[in-house]
Amino acid sequence: MTIDSVLATADREWRALGVHQRDRATLGADLRADLEAADADGLTPAELLGTDPAGFARNLAEEAGVERTTPRYGALFGVATAGAVIALVVGYVVVLGLHQAFVAAFDLPRGVHVPVWLAAGAFYGGIVAIVVAGAVVAVRVALRDVPRIRHTAARMTVLLPPAFGAGIAAAVAVGWALDFRLTPAVISAEAALVLLAFLGATALARRWSVYTPLSVRESAEN
Amino acid sequence: MWRMIAAEGPDEAAERQAQLLRGCLDMCLLALLTEEPAHGYELVRRLESSGFGAVSYGTVYPLVTRLRRLGLVSDVPQPSPTGPPRKVYRVTDAGRERLTIWRKQWIQFAGVVNAAVDVRTSESGDDR
Repeated sequence: MTIDSVLATADREWRALGVHQRDRATLGADLRADLEAADADGLTPAELLGTDPAGFARNLAEEAGVERTTPRYGALFGVATAGAVIALVVGYVVVLGLHQAFVAAFDLPRGVHVPVWLAAGAFYGGIVAIVVAGAVVAVRVALRDVPRIRHTAARMTVLLPPAFGAGIAAAVAVGWALDFRLTPAVISAEAALVLLAFLGATALARRWSVYTPLSVRESAEN
Repeated sequence: MWRMIAAEGPDEAAERQAQLLRGCLDMCLLALLTEEPAHGYELVRRLESSGFGAVSYGTVYPLVTRLRRLGLVSDVPQPSPTGPPRKVYRVTDAGRERLTIWRKQWIQFAGVVNAAVDVRTSESGDDR
């Protein structure tokens, strides 16, 4: 057991506990200074800390009273998915109503041709915007008492659109490779890819907000 | 009763000792540091020589960290002839005040426990 391995173990443990990066750095620097001084006096980390450096790190974080934020991925996934689904259903109903209203009110001139890519972009972009808005609003409202949730919601707004873009592109690629067959297996695979992108970006947004220090302004807001 | 004590192995005795120590080790550390400032593993040696047995550095270090957080102990880097500077812990004024309060509380509490233990021992006839 070396000083570096003890500090690596401790840092992993503190990360798992949700200790903020600045506190991990302070605890680690203090511990390193003590272990190095003891080492110079001939005392190894194993002699000082025994065989359970992870338990020691947990105890140290507890006694140091450092601020901890647990990610709560389960609650986040549930709320974000529910918000996205509700927004999708509401959005579908609204768009359907608007479409019928516009069709009844206006006639598109015969000379106007909308490119397929633009129509597809507007269609998928609209769905993504509605789903992202639903997920972000649901997280902000339903998890408002969870620490750093505003920060997480802001990061979701940034990460979800490109993640959906990548997920939809992957789903289209799979569909193209399988001749766009409308079998349950193909449709499930395409849906799973989009869902995976959604959950991955949501997890990344939470991880980003939990494990990075906040600015003074963000601290005040959170 | 005697049979139970005799049957208690070294592991159980150490566990019991650890339980008893848990509630008062921070006070003992403050008292030891009031006598003389010390660095982390020096404190471990002092605890051992005071009769507490083997208390690990892994137990003492987090407690000293808590005492620092509460402002009862401060640390000063001290040059070491063997390597990098060591953090030497000393009791602050707030720490001395807190120790006075804790000491009174402990004496009162220990009196109550001693009285209770004496009564029970006398009632069961174990002191004969």
